[in-house]
Amino acid sequence: MDDLPEEVQELIEELDEAAEDEDEDTIKELTQKLLETGADVEAITLKKLSILVMDGEEEMTRGWTEVAIQIGIDPFKTLIEGLAAGMSLIGKKYEQGEAFVPQLLIASAAMYSGMDLLAPYMKQDENSNSKPVTVVIGTVEGDVHDIGKSLVKTLLSANGFNCVDLGNDVPASRFIEAAKENKATAISMSTLMTTTMAEMPKVLNLLENEGIRDKLLVMVGGAPITAGYAAQIGANVSPHDAASAATWLKESIVNFPSESVRWD
Amino acid sequence: MVSEMTSKERVLAMLDRKPVDRVPVMTGSAMVKEYIEKSGSSWPDYHCDAEMMVNTVSLMHTDAGLDNIVLPFGMFIESAALGLEVKMGRIDIQPSVRSFFSKPEEVNYDNFLENKYVKTTLEAIKLSKEKYPDAAITAFLVAPITLTGDLMGAENLSMLSIKCLQKEKQMQKMQDWLSKALEINRIYAEACVEAGADILYYSDASASPNLVMPEFYYQVAVPAEKEIGDFVHHLGCPWELHICGDTVPIIEGMASTGADCLSVEQAVNMKEATKIAGDVPIVGNVTPLLMVEGTEEQIIDETRKGLDSGAKGSMLGCGTPPLSTSDRIRTWVKAAADWSAENL
Repeated sequence: MDDLPEEVQELIEELDEAAEDEDEDTIKELTQKLLETGADVEAITLKKLSILVMDGEEEMTRGWTEVAIQIGIDPFKTLIEGLAAGMSLIGKKYEQGEAFVPQLLIASAAMYSGMDLLAPYMKQDENSNSKPVTVVIGTVEGDVHDIGKSLVKTLLSANGFNCVDLGNDVPASRFIEAAKENKATAISMSTLMTTTMAEMPKVLNLLENEGIRDKLLVMVGGAPITAGYAAQIGANVSPHDAASAATWLKESIVNFPSESVRWD
Repeated sequence: MVSEMTSKERVLAMLDRKPVDRVPVMTGSAMVKEYIEKSGSSWPDYHCDAEMMVNTVSLMHTDAGLDNIVLPFGMFIESAALGLEVKMGRIDIQPSVRSFFSKPEEVNYDNFLENKYVKTTLEAIKLSKEKYPDAAITAFLVAPITLTGDLMGAENLSMLSIKCLQKEKQMQKMQDWLSKALEINRIYAEACVEAGADILYYSDASASPNLVMPEFYYQVAVPAEKEIGDFVHHLGCPWELHICGDTVPIIEGMASTGADCLSVEQAVNMKEATKIAGDVPIVGNVTPLLMVEGTEEQIIDETRKGLDSGAKGSMLGCGTPPLSTSDRIRTWVKAAADWSAENL
């Protein structure tokens, strides 16, 4: 942004202020002025959105999403190259030990605040050919801790996965039902407590008993879960954190049979 | 060579940084299914029946040989007493808090001490003090940041913890919540000490670097923990501080709260932590799951590793898992005694 003309930079700063104040009229007016400068407003907006989400600036993310809508950027492009890109940036920083959970949470809130504004426009594009890969996600029965699971969900969503969120305190049978109903590609289970770890093998045993274990990839995670434990109970992986869960799943689905081959 | 001590003398000497006859072995929460059944207690009655509670938790002392008796079983008492929704779990799952307030003004603690779970805890402290005068009677309490998280929701706490460092208005909001938590902490602490608790054990799980940034811990949590800690000292009682996760980045702050000892979990490099904490004793950091499925060799190795690295007492990294077995707990206690015989 530093190499932009001074006039453009000033308008961007004014837009930031208007967005923070949630002043919709001023946002519209400034967006028009920005367009009149001849600058590449689409590129500026996408870049701004990714930085604002990374920094967890909820109000400003909403404001710049309004800019994106006003100038007519494809909503899917705004989502992927703006909002989700910002979530991936903070996810990578977290993976490298350069960011903490609160930063992920405020980034996540910022991303969803922008997505809420985009939602009505995205519905018009539902006839797209590409169907996102579905992941059934939840915290196991007896555990009400949501934060870790929600972060995995956010980062999976930011990477284009469709997450069926079962919430927390989820009975083993519910994971199986949801996987079947949604013809899921993966199940992601989490627990923060040693006391509820034993719920995870219950899910894997049910998958075996139902004869659908090979139709799904199974990720297990949470503070007490180790790679050794994942292997012991027959899960595919225990990613180190939310960001690596998304990275692992993206890589793993490349050679995984498609939904139609597995479920039909 | 220090002459033989009672469990209570041993724990208090360690907290007072004095020599001990053997390192104390201590627990946090102790809702152990085997002991619940052995004592004839029944779920969920043992949460609100002082006699059942004492009969169960005292087995950790009389049967397994631990030096403290810890009451109550879980970190839900304060929230339940404030009217928040609590799911009572099962015999092998601890109760958990399921709701939170939307603003600090909703928090009403006028009748806090009249709540059945609070009353049970206080009665159980009195009863265990009478029945087991040689054990270190320990009240298990929710520390200020974690209680703030219970009041406003843990995710909201985590998000506000970063926003409050950036904006004064958000900091005021944080302090409004925190002051409620501290007031509740004071009421409960005073009642526990009055009931006869030898030690107050504060768990500040939500002050962990897993949930909030170290910068927040130093700027907001340390003053809050110090405030309640000073209050407890003023009542004439020592206190311990437990925080989950890898707490090495905040150990210096934990040591500065005035806590008489710090409890850390298995993710912590004990050698590094004890070096940073200086003369503030650290206890820990045996993996809790070993009490459920660990081999004798694993339990002995982890116990010795912690003590070799400078721990002044052996403790599990978190509460005692409900499915722990008494033979494994006894193996752990023996490992600490054997280490003491060789090294003290």
